[in-house]
Amino acid sequence: MRIGYLGWRMAYSIFAFLISMTITFSLLHLMPGDYLHAILPYLAEKNPQATVLFQEQFGLNKPLIEQYTLYMGNVLGGNWGYSIHYGLPVVAVISEKLYWTMLIFIPATLLSILIGMAIGSYSGWTCGSNLDSITFKIMIFLGAVPSYWWALFLILVLGYYLNLFPLGGYVGIETLERGVDPLDVAHHAILPIISLTIVSIPGIYYLMRNSMISTFGEDYILNARSKGFSETYILRHHALRNALLPMLTVLAMEMAHMIMGSVFIETIFSWPGMGLLTYEALRVRDIPLLQGIFLMDTLIIIIANAAADFSYPLVDPRVKVV
Amino acid sequence: MARIRTLIASLVLLGMCILLAVSCPLLAPFSPSEISGRPLQEPCKEHLMGTNDLGQDIFSRLLYGTRATMALGLLGALFSVSLSTALGMISAYYGGWPDEVISRGVDILMTVPGFPLLLVAAIFFSPNIFTIAGLMGLLGGLQGIRIIRSQVLSLVEAEFVLGARALGSSDHYIIVRHILPNILTLAVVNFVFAAQRFMLMGVGLGFLGLGDPAVIDWGQMINRAYSNGGFAMGMWWWLIPPGLAVVLLSMILAMIGYSLEDELNPRLRKQKILSI
Repeated sequence: MRIGYLGWRMAYSIFAFLISMTITFSLLHLMPGDYLHAILPYLAEKNPQATVLFQEQFGLNKPLIEQYTLYMGNVLGGNWGYSIHYGLPVVAVISEKLYWTMLIFIPATLLSILIGMAIGSYSGWTCGSNLDSITFKIMIFLGAVPSYWWALFLILVLGYYLNLFPLGGYVGIETLERGVDPLDVAHHAILPIISLTIVSIPGIYYLMRNSMISTFGEDYILNARSKGFSETYILRHHALRNALLPMLTVLAMEMAHMIMGSVFIETIFSWPGMGLLTYEALRVRDIPLLQGIFLMDTLIIIIANAAADFSYPLVDPRVKVV
Repeated sequence: MARIRTLIASLVLLGMCILLAVSCPLLAPFSPSEISGRPLQEPCKEHLMGTNDLGQDIFSRLLYGTRATMALGLLGALFSVSLSTALGMISAYYGGWPDEVISRGVDILMTVPGFPLLLVAAIFFSPNIFTIAGLMGLLGGLQGIRIIRSQVLSLVEAEFVLGARALGSSDHYIIVRHILPNILTLAVVNFVFAAQRFMLMGVGLGFLGLGDPAVIDWGQMINRAYSNGGFAMGMWWWLIPPGLAVVLLSMILAMIGYSLEDELNPRLRKQKILSI
């Protein structure tokens, strides 16, 4: 049964990617004018022969269904088109930036999950107490402030006034002489990581708190309590694991939220990842690149989903995936 | 009781914001796009929040910006909530193949990241406040379908629906008179949270330079201040007002949402009785 469920989830992921590809394909075709006019506007007017050659070269004169299958094949084969702005294959541009995004994405995800779950489970466990209502209000505030505002605030306070961290970029000017120093990069990465973490904590906190509150009313908690176990023991051994289960399925949604946050945060910190790439692609209206970014974001979420599915048995021993 | 007070206070604040948005021509000292003074002026008597790089009065622009910013959030929320309520009800009430199609569709589409898609789509369709709100509503309504569906599923089994059906009421009548009133509060909570989310998203789009160029919204104000040097030159009166306004409005909506949700969901209320 478990394997069947995993199979379904995989099928959904594949469908989702197919739909993403279909969207990018149809948007390319909905684009006003043809592709040549977008990238070389004057050539098409001066030389009609070039248009014909161009269409033949890129298969634009073939029937739509054939173009569609061709496009699908190309995307799956790793050919995602050429960026207009960079003049490079989209995959090459993205994969270089992906590394830098992951450098802040992974620490921020882990940190926000740890902090959000710790505070959330405690808050849910002591639901109704003063501490809980104060943390709850703080979290509402954290969540209500948009990500770009956190980033600007952190730059101003920690970067500019206190001068603890660099204002942006990923390496200092000394790199020109000494080469890239991992410590220097880490120093630059701290503020983006903090802002991305702050942005993602409230969502995780809120889910964990709700999950904990519903676990709280279960019979086995009452049973454990009647046995005379201490509160901390029940929290650790009975409540926490069970409350974690519903969290796994929604973590992928949090990823989507973080991708959105990273666009703003990387832009403000000039961190050379996918977020900043998105901003620049938007500014120069580099559509193939934007579509590549969109496909890559879909892939990231699919992978996060799969990771959540496969870590299910780690959290819940009743579930076996063989 | 504290919850009710929060709710009333935030509703009053929201009402004031709406009043400001409606009456801004009366309150604003200048027309928002009029060049009313020296560029980059500091706050003074004439220009309460100074002027921007074109010499436009920031205070007037802030007041006028309330309109587009709120309209984006509210329109997007209206669109997404009506879509998700309708689809959620159909899916849960009829079951069978409509349910299969809608639920599987939601399952699949949930994996597609909405925001990057919104960015790509916003470039294709010329950014206009209605298209942006519509796109946000379309992409953001998926989660709501699930919430409404699970609620309606339990309602369909309820005695009063069974009774109404036994009396020979039509499906349409049952949905409108029995199901809809019971999920209305849930839909309102969804609406408030969606409004908050879409307002932040709309301001974010403005910040990324994808706003509707025909209107003034806070996102575009932040974008202008940020990219034309307001941030680098430390001109806080240019950058802070629109940012603070966004935070304030978003806080108000969040407070309304959470206090309504608490009222609605008895499970989230104090459960400390057990541990005494």
